Amino acid sequence: MNGKRLRLLIWKEFLQLRRDPLFLRLAMAMPIIQLVLFGYVVAADVTNLKTAVIDLDRTPASRTIAASFAASDYFNIVARPDGEDALRPLLDRNEIALAIVIPAGTQASLERGEVAGIGIVVDGSDSSTASVGTSYASRVIAGYNALPDAGPGAKASVRVVFNQSLRTVNTMIPGLIATIMMISVLAIMSQAVVKERERGTLEQMFTTPISRGEYLVGKVVPYMVLSGVQALFVATIGTLWFRVPFYGSVWVVLTGLLLFMLTNVGMGLLISLVSRTRQQAQQMMMFVMLPTMILSGFIFPIESMPDAIKPFTAAIPMTHALVVMRGAFVKGAGFDALATPLLALAGFAVAIFGLAVVLMRRRLSE
Amino acid sequence: MTDSPAQQASDAVVASELRRSFGAVKAVDGVSLRVPRGAIFGLLGPDGAGKSTLIRMLATVLAPDSGDATVAGASVTKRPDAVTPRIGYMSQQFCMYPDLTVAENIDFFAVLRGVDKPTRKRRAAELLASMGMAQFTRRAAGRLSGGMKQKLMLTSTLMHSPEILLLDEPTTGVDPVSRREFWTILAELQRAGTTVVVATPYMDEAERCSHVAFMLSGQITHHGTPAELKALIPGVLIEVDAPDPRQALAAASGAPGVRSAHLLGDHVRVLSDADAQAPERLQALLRAQGIEATALAIEPDMEAAFSYLAEAAS
Amino acid sequence: MRASAARIAALVRKEFTHLFRDPRSLALVLLLPVVELLLFAWAISFDVREVPTIIWDADGSAASRAYVQQYAAGGFFTVKGSADSYDDIDKAFERGQARVAVVVPAGFQRAQDAGLRADVQVLVDGGEPTSARMGEAYALALNQRYNATSFASWVARTPGASVDAPTTGVLEPRVRTWYNPDRLSSVFLIPGLVVVIIMIVTVQQTAVTIVRERDQHTAEQMLVSPLSHTELVVGKLLPWTVLAFVDMAIVVGLGMGLFELPMRGSWAVLAAGSVLFVFASLAIGLIISSVTPSPETANIAAIMVAFLPSFLLSGFAFPIASMPPVLQAVTYAFPAREMVTISRGVFLKGAGLADVWTELLQLTAYAVVAVGVAVRLYGRRARR
Repeated sequence: MNGKRLRLLIWKEFLQLRRDPLFLRLAMAMPIIQLVLFGYVVAADVTNLKTAVIDLDRTPASRTIAASFAASDYFNIVARPDGEDALRPLLDRNEIALAIVIPAGTQASLERGEVAGIGIVVDGSDSSTASVGTSYASRVIAGYNALPDAGPGAKASVRVVFNQSLRTVNTMIPGLIATIMMISVLAIMSQAVVKERERGTLEQMFTTPISRGEYLVGKVVPYMVLSGVQALFVATIGTLWFRVPFYGSVWVVLTGLLLFMLTNVGMGLLISLVSRTRQQAQQMMMFVMLPTMILSGFIFPIESMPDAIKPFTAAIPMTHALVVMRGAFVKGAGFDALATPLLALAGFAVAIFGLAVVLMRRRLSE
Repeated sequence: MTDSPAQQASDAVVASELRRSFGAVKAVDGVSLRVPRGAIFGLLGPDGAGKSTLIRMLATVLAPDSGDATVAGASVTKRPDAVTPRIGYMSQQFCMYPDLTVAENIDFFAVLRGVDKPTRKRRAAELLASMGMAQFTRRAAGRLSGGMKQKLMLTSTLMHSPEILLLDEPTTGVDPVSRREFWTILAELQRAGTTVVVATPYMDEAERCSHVAFMLSGQITHHGTPAELKALIPGVLIEVDAPDPRQALAAASGAPGVRSAHLLGDHVRVLSDADAQAPERLQALLRAQGIEATALAIEPDMEAAFSYLAEAAS
Repeated sequence: MRASAARIAALVRKEFTHLFRDPRSLALVLLLPVVELLLFAWAISFDVREVPTIIWDADGSAASRAYVQQYAAGGFFTVKGSADSYDDIDKAFERGQARVAVVVPAGFQRAQDAGLRADVQVLVDGGEPTSARMGEAYALALNQRYNATSFASWVARTPGASVDAPTTGVLEPRVRTWYNPDRLSSVFLIPGLVVVIIMIVTVQQTAVTIVRERDQHTAEQMLVSPLSHTELVVGKLLPWTVLAFVDMAIVVGLGMGLFELPMRGSWAVLAAGSVLFVFASLAIGLIISSVTPSPETANIAAIMVAFLPSFLLSGFAFPIASMPPVLQAVTYAFPAREMVTISRGVFLKGAGLADVWTELLQLTAYAVVAVGVAVRLYGRRARR
């Protein structure tokens, strides 16, 4: 491989990039927008749910119960209607997320030593709020029920290990760094070769002494640099702006990101080689990107997925990248703990790149 | 050209002081011209002369920075929508859809032009037959040869029977046979009354125009009929054949009475002072220097005219 | 007028011809939404359950085993294995193999027999905050239930046990879920998914239409024809509107057939909203294509301006109420938000015109403005 020719190719790519300033500006703006969107939207911790409390009992006991809900961080009492018919419009207009109904006769039941039911009404059309809200309510009720420390039983002390603040942002940002890298690399690389093939400059290139290997490296390096800069940008702004703590080793993060970048470059190249037009390349890219974002555990936890799908999530490189990033940031995990996902990423990089090279030999000679 | 006002009124195109720049580059720098009705008007000039830009302004596809033109009786700046129904415009690049067939392309643009269905069928059949493309109606436009692509574009522009055709280098990159066919078609169109304005870098095509304008660096340097332009050449045009043309060129350039000499392919063309004996003298001179040359006087052609006028302009 | 309709018809026919001559693209345009739908609806659930848990039972007694059994029985926790030390637990957490660990100390049974409380530790991995919170809540509730039953049986077994504890009853939550009783995430997601899919189609479209004209110099030929800018824009929007509707029909059909999505409201309202929304989205796509210099930029711009915000800010999957107020205001800038409200309202809450007329009005305004701007912008690009 000739160093001079390589430098020339890389220089050409940079030149072409410079000619499209809007593209570069977008490339830098995109991560910021994604940071804001993901950081504030997806990572939003569901707390302070707008709640209505309907007290049909109006006894000291029911007032205590209502007070324990009001005292909890999870609930924000915004309405105290007189009856249940007031609930439907409140729910429909999204003025409340859930309602607590204390039926008449609650105190009486409790004094008789019976089980008293407390109604929790949730809007099932907002599933995430519904399930979380239900669990919070259960917790408040459990707190009310807590018996004094007499008699046998278990005194459970719950301790949060890692991310004690339980802020979702702290786990979302590390994942976002990987995601943003994936999106940009895929978007750019999938167009890279196709563009030249459509224009016909590809054929021109191979009548010169440039070897296929040099071409590949020359194409890939500038975008890797660009993407690396972008990732650093995101990492810095993300951690600083959202005050995300970092407990782990920078080397682990860099290794993970580098390996992940390679898999994405390879994937983008594959798409680029397989598509005949830019339009097809772009459609394929979306086809690959969406399931990756959905199934990798970036937004939706893998545990919640049906068992049939879980094995497939391991086939997605991003799943492993997320384990590495989150492990390093949040849990301070080192190379030993993260050996498996790192090796998986390396394996993917080798396999995908290898495939791209093989395909390139065949396709580019068409 | 000094035409009477009545003649001016019947001109197909009247351009006046058209100017257009792209950034710092003055593509068209104050062009005024007149194209009589029924003419085949050739715009000649090298690459970058501004021919494309001029044609596009006349076609209302590009807006001039200043100046105006009246095409088919309407102003291109003030009433472009009155101009477009009467013109056909063929761009330099292939402007059809490569994945659509010949028939589909023609039909689509004809519908856009408002040609009704029975007319479309009839015209398409006639035109394609006359161009020898009848059996290619179902071929994808992207898979046509260069010459057929040009014919396809021409067919498309003719579907609505325009009065004026504006063609931007329609034969560039086309094989000589197709080129000749193309010009035969243009001649027929002219006979039927269509005015044709065609930009071309090919000097031999200029011969077949009724009027010609030379364009250089955004300006029209000379215009007139081919005969008028050729008459501008002073002296005698001599063509020299020699085994080593370059050597002959060098020798001829210094010869007495020679105004200019240049190479055209394998021949040396020499412009010499008007003198019936000039060819024999030149031949003798060259032979005396050991060059086995033959020199013959030839009729001036457009190439010679252009070379001479271009040199004179610089 | 007739010629105008003929021109629009010709544009539509041509657009479809392009599409059908590129079967790979067509397949992707039609298949992509279906695949995404299946993926989303089936794979995604907001219900956190089967949280991997490991147990360190240092006591190994009948009582401790009974206690541990509670966790497995609940459905929320899934016992994945056991540990013997805090190191084990740390490693399991770091590797992501478990998110909850229960540590039962030695002497658990002895404490129970003596009528005393035993200290149990529940360690929760904060790396998955939502399941951590819920894990906390359920662990506490579980313990409290265990305490109640063991207290009752202790009182019963132990003669002369002091019954200092007040014999109060116990509160129990009775959950009533409206509109989606089984709390199927898919039912929750699909109405919003319809919206996202239309955005995906929009993004695809932007890569194609105006770029094609620009690249193939056919735009000039259109300029010298009587084709008006409005006709051009409408002619480009219509075929993709049809495609978007086909996609929508597939998604709704599959949703109702495979995922038991109910339809409780008015089809007419849904259709009206959809038409407006599709037009608005596609027009936005055209605007993006007109404004960006290259197809790559158009691509990225479409993703950023059309797809991502509608995915994240429309309320489709992430509750708007949880967003910071600034972002909540921003969501109004995207028509996807209104469409999700209409869609969800119609499918799940039986909404009719009276319920969603404000949203419909907003969508109409969007569609009109977007198409108007698209026409104006495309006009500006011509006749340079």
